[in-house]
Amino acid sequence: MRAKKLHWTTLAIFILLLGGSRVSQAFDFGGLLEDLAKPKAEPEKQEAPASAPPAEPAKKEQDGGLIGLGESLGLIDKKSGDLLKSGVSTVKAFQPIGYEEEKAIGGSLAVQVFNRFGGPYKNEALTRYVNLVGQAVADVSDRPDIEYHFAILNTEHPNAFATPGGYVFVSVGLLKLLRNEAELAGVLGHEIAHITHKHALKTIQRGQALKGLTSLTLTAMNKDMGLFDKVIDEVSEILFTRGLDKDLEYEADKFGTEYAFRMGYNADGLKNFIKVLGQSHKGESSIFSSTHPSPGDRLGHLAGESGRYKGHVLYPVLTKRYKSETQGRL
Amino acid sequence: MAMKRLLVIVTLMLSILALPAAALAETLYVKKSGTKLQSEASASSKVVETLASGTAVEVVKKSGRFYQVTAAGGKKGWIFKFKLTAKAPSGGGGGGSLLDALGGQQMAAKESASGSSIRGLSPISEQHAKSKGISKESINAVKAMEEFKVSAQEVDAFLKAGKLGEYAQ
Repeated sequence: MRAKKLHWTTLAIFILLLGGSRVSQAFDFGGLLEDLAKPKAEPEKQEAPASAPPAEPAKKEQDGGLIGLGESLGLIDKKSGDLLKSGVSTVKAFQPIGYEEEKAIGGSLAVQVFNRFGGPYKNEALTRYVNLVGQAVADVSDRPDIEYHFAILNTEHPNAFATPGGYVFVSVGLLKLLRNEAELAGVLGHEIAHITHKHALKTIQRGQALKGLTSLTLTAMNKDMGLFDKVIDEVSEILFTRGLDKDLEYEADKFGTEYAFRMGYNADGLKNFIKVLGQSHKGESSIFSSTHPSPGDRLGHLAGESGRYKGHVLYPVLTKRYKSETQGRL
Repeated sequence: MAMKRLLVIVTLMLSILALPAAALAETLYVKKSGTKLQSEASASSKVVETLASGTAVEVVKKSGRFYQVTAAGGKKGWIFKFKLTAKAPSGGGGGGSLLDALGGQQMAAKESASGSSIRGLSPISEQHAKSKGISKESINAVKAMEEFKVSAQEVDAFLKAGKLGEYAQ
């Protein structure tokens, strides 16, 4: 009897052990998930209800459940119940903005970037270099399957921007502050992360311009240019004046660092550039100072991040190549 | 007798636990079309095949920054691990939602198909810029930015020269 009991106990322990090990093995993708899960910032989770399709059971319970219960108990009249139900479905059913719409929004904002921030810096060799670094980093991002375009802005202010749909900008002033290719990869990685994580789109979806709508389609915007105008006005105010939520900037810093590391650069590139920006008087004239958290706060959030990247200090920063690619072109 | 049986059970348990991870058929997906499947865990090795975005591969072995995989059709080779994602393509099924919840990579093959067909500045963007009185130069600058291309071969040569990506040592 005792031996039998012992067998069952051993079997139970085994099942627990097996279960645990299988779960951990099943989710171990050689660091792929581990690498990604760690930098994930909270906002992504908070925004899930707005961008992700609602889970059916939850919808059913909310639509029919509590409101229906309120109606049947006489706490809510039928009309209010219907209004509440439609409100719930409007909030929950907002369709994520599609790529075509994203590109239209991003293209309009890209035109504004050139219009507001010095226009294009015309140097083909330098543009090619920035495109090569940017494309390499985008290729190992979480969204490598869209086209990315990189341009240099003709302004001495150290600025960088990303607009939805794959448009990335760095200013000539910023390139002058950088000391090596790893720093450039980190800066471009930060901008690419805004696109891969659809930060601007998520901000638009939460904004006033789309209030009460369930989707944003190109057909609807073509029919109503006023709607498109409202969306662009709202998002340009955020990107160029007020700035995105701080948490989204911290998230872009983390993923920018991650992408540069994946490409094989020393993972401290972005961190080191933020330090330089913080120390430079030029930093004050940068769009970063008005639209981003302070360099101190950004460094605080990044502190410890590079510790996650084993052996990254041995990875190249490519100072020599950066100097030779930019010499006489800035 | 009881002890002997217990010993057999424990041995059986330990041998199951010691099974290699590869035996558990881990499926990953190619992130971007043109991803190289190579004969060795080296970027300089022979290209066995180029894979399309969303292609499922079974991981056989892991070695540094490369994974040995078996692709659909049975071809075996090595892929630079950051060209793979745990997230299944849209509509492809296979545990995507659970991995999403765990913070898996966010990309879908569906987007790739639409992404490649949508090119150039959208007419609505141009119309909007004109209505706002934005100069033609700024509109043309975006068009020039979109037309500026670097090929996959150029990127590859650039990585090789800098010992980056799959060429990193």
